[in-house]
Amino acid sequence: MVNEKLLAVENLRVLFNTRNGQTVAVENLSFSLTPGKVLGIVGESGSGKSVACYALMGLIPSPPGNVESGRALFYGNDLLQMSEVELRHVRGHKIAMIFQDPMTCLNPYMRIADQLIEALLQHKKISKKEAREKSIAALVEVGILDAAMRVDEYPHQFSGGMRQRVMIAMALLAEPEILIADEPTTALDVTVQAQILALIKGLQQSHKLAVIFITHDLGVAAQMADDILVMEKGKMVEQGTTEAIFKYPTQEYTKKLLSAVLTTAKPVASEAKANESPLLDVKNLQVGYASYTGSVFSRKKQFSRGVDDVSITIRRGEILGLVGESGSGKSTLGRSIVRLVDAQSGQILFNEKNLLDLSAANLNLMRRDIQMIFQDPYASLNPRMTVFDTLAEPLLVHGLADKSSVLDKVNELMDDVGLDRRFIRKYPHEFSGGQRQRVAIARAIALKPKLIVADEPVSALDVTIRAQILSLLLELTRKHNLTMLFISHDMSVVRYLCDRVVVMQHGKVVEEGETEQLFSSPQQEYTRQLLAAIPSL
Amino acid sequence: MLNNELSAQSQPLEKGTSLTQDAFARLRKNKMAMASLLVLLIIIVVSLLTPWIAPYSDEEQNLDLGASAPSAAHWLGTDVLGRDQLTRILYGSRISLMVGFIATGVALTIGVLWGSVAGFVGGRVDAIMMRIVDALYALPFTIFIILLSVIFGSSLLLLFLAIGAVEWLTMARIVRGQVLTIKRQEFVEAAISMGLSPWRIISRHLIPNVLGPVIVYTTLTIPSVILLESFLSFLGLGVQPPASSWGSLISGGVETMEEYPWLLIFPGLVLTITLFSLNFLGDGLRDALDPRASKD
Repeated sequence: MVNEKLLAVENLRVLFNTRNGQTVAVENLSFSLTPGKVLGIVGESGSGKSVACYALMGLIPSPPGNVESGRALFYGNDLLQMSEVELRHVRGHKIAMIFQDPMTCLNPYMRIADQLIEALLQHKKISKKEAREKSIAALVEVGILDAAMRVDEYPHQFSGGMRQRVMIAMALLAEPEILIADEPTTALDVTVQAQILALIKGLQQSHKLAVIFITHDLGVAAQMADDILVMEKGKMVEQGTTEAIFKYPTQEYTKKLLSAVLTTAKPVASEAKANESPLLDVKNLQVGYASYTGSVFSRKKQFSRGVDDVSITIRRGEILGLVGESGSGKSTLGRSIVRLVDAQSGQILFNEKNLLDLSAANLNLMRRDIQMIFQDPYASLNPRMTVFDTLAEPLLVHGLADKSSVLDKVNELMDDVGLDRRFIRKYPHEFSGGQRQRVAIARAIALKPKLIVADEPVSALDVTIRAQILSLLLELTRKHNLTMLFISHDMSVVRYLCDRVVVMQHGKVVEEGETEQLFSSPQQEYTRQLLAAIPSL
Repeated sequence: MLNNELSAQSQPLEKGTSLTQDAFARLRKNKMAMASLLVLLIIIVVSLLTPWIAPYSDEEQNLDLGASAPSAAHWLGTDVLGRDQLTRILYGSRISLMVGFIATGVALTIGVLWGSVAGFVGGRVDAIMMRIVDALYALPFTIFIILLSVIFGSSLLLLFLAIGAVEWLTMARIVRGQVLTIKRQEFVEAAISMGLSPWRIISRHLIPNVLGPVIVYTTLTIPSVILLESFLSFLGLGVQPPASSWGSLISGGVETMEEYPWLLIFPGLVLTITLFSLNFLGDGLRDALDPRASKD
């Protein structure tokens, strides 16, 4: 095969001017793209992988951004030197792009047809009727059923996965030669992600596209890419064929990334907890969100079913995984156990007391036994309080420490979660995401709770950080003899951490079982789909 | 005691920069806002020192002099009764600023408490509290004040109360809106699940996080309150002679605008400078507190 280069990027350097001086977002980056091949660019957040590709498209806002030096030769023309008019011809026409969030990339006030036709007429001199026909054909190609009818609908009438399909159809309409896909499946559920990846792969082969596939997920990169480029802090770490990178990584950072992918089961086999008595027993729980219909005078309350007749049991000392896709009711179930959401009927027996029957005062006492760790460490800490204040508050309020002992207790907590004691006077915004999540974990264990509800505590974190936080959680549950309800959409994380797994779909429990048993011989079709959708190395 | 223990530690503690400190660092770079702050401080200090630095006593009349143009003895001229204009402006600034700050303080306290309780508790309590706000909004302000002054006679105290009672409504709405968005954030849910009392959640977690917009709105409320007072004094409902405020001086100046323009120009100028400074400071604070411009 002729190794002709479609796009050659040389020594790309991108700067951002901020209040605190210049930040180098991309430093001395070189790579090339071969027709019909997929280049995966892998890196954690802030590694400059997206910025590099935005620079190629001339999409870096300037100021504060500045593409300082480098060349990007596309058919012998330097993309970085092109005028806005020339670039506009290249963008969309020769190089198309699909983005992470299909919700925000489509205009909510325009019909799908109008958006596709508009994109098409920009680049091709054809009649509107032809454009419409082409649009429908493109939608059929990306697997949208009844495309001829659905083309006249609005974006909100499509699901997330369907919207991403529309975005792909729109990107391919102008028959580009290069497709840049920036984390196109990150916002999607796992089973949908698997479908979209297969679609992109198929289209790439049938259209002979060159694809730059940006992702933080090594599993996805392994599945999609022919070549892989690993980036860290704006610099290239390693580049090579996918096989070479995965089998014989030469750089430390690549090895670290690879080892952070959780392919293994729980590191230490858990002792049998089957004989332990249940700590939490949820019986026939119904939780819905109220909506009102009718006029002001004859309001009727209606409940949508978030959690529908669910019964689960958590034994003492056990980590129970709760998996499901978005909208499956898993978070609602977790939040109703912490009593952040009111349940309509059923029982939540905690230590044989029904949490739903408690008076407000008793509930506040009981709350210290059940703590929650949230998904987003950026939102779960009060930005106006120092770490010391955040951790001292629950201790002081519940009388677990007085003014003289509180500093020691807070320092102990910092040690527990592996944070430096010197940082206690700092504010949340001065920490990284992983450190913030450590603070949130310290706050959750401060009250020495019996049960911790962890709602996707690692989904917002980078892969290398994710592994650290998971092993911290595992260590803490052992040390403090905690019981945990671990809510996640990520099967590999659940396999790593949990003793038992409950699978939810549409607000109901589909299947439950010991982790290894469930992973090796799933009984239900839906569980099998979830397991098949895990991208593997 | 806590601090002693901290300093006794072997490792030096790393001191964090709070968002507030961060905002003030940014404000310090805004020349316009800092100049305004300086002007305001000068005006405030001068008005506090008035009894000692005023060139004449505030009741001293010189009918022989009448309205005289600015001169060496009377820098800003005298009014029709021969009272020194500079002295009157200085004494007037005490009342105008006091009305501005106290009435705004009243509005601030009531508004922040009312809005945060309504927003946090929500449901029926929220609906009732906000309908009360709506009802008060519907009262025509001038008629409200006139009614009050007919019943109680016009006094400064009444002025504070009346203006404060009107200005807190907007503050309550702003705070409620902010609280509604912050209430859904996970750190508030974390506070609830820790079993903290509602009052503690409001005072420690909600109010500190709505202070940004509140501070900005406050700096914009002070000028509008000063203007309100001027307006009321202009109508004769505010400050009663012989006491003066910027508003009453301007209203007096307007009557004799054609013959003695300096009686209008100078108080007008002082009022304008103060209002401009407050507005620039408010703008500067808004930019400094805007989270989108923050560090990361």
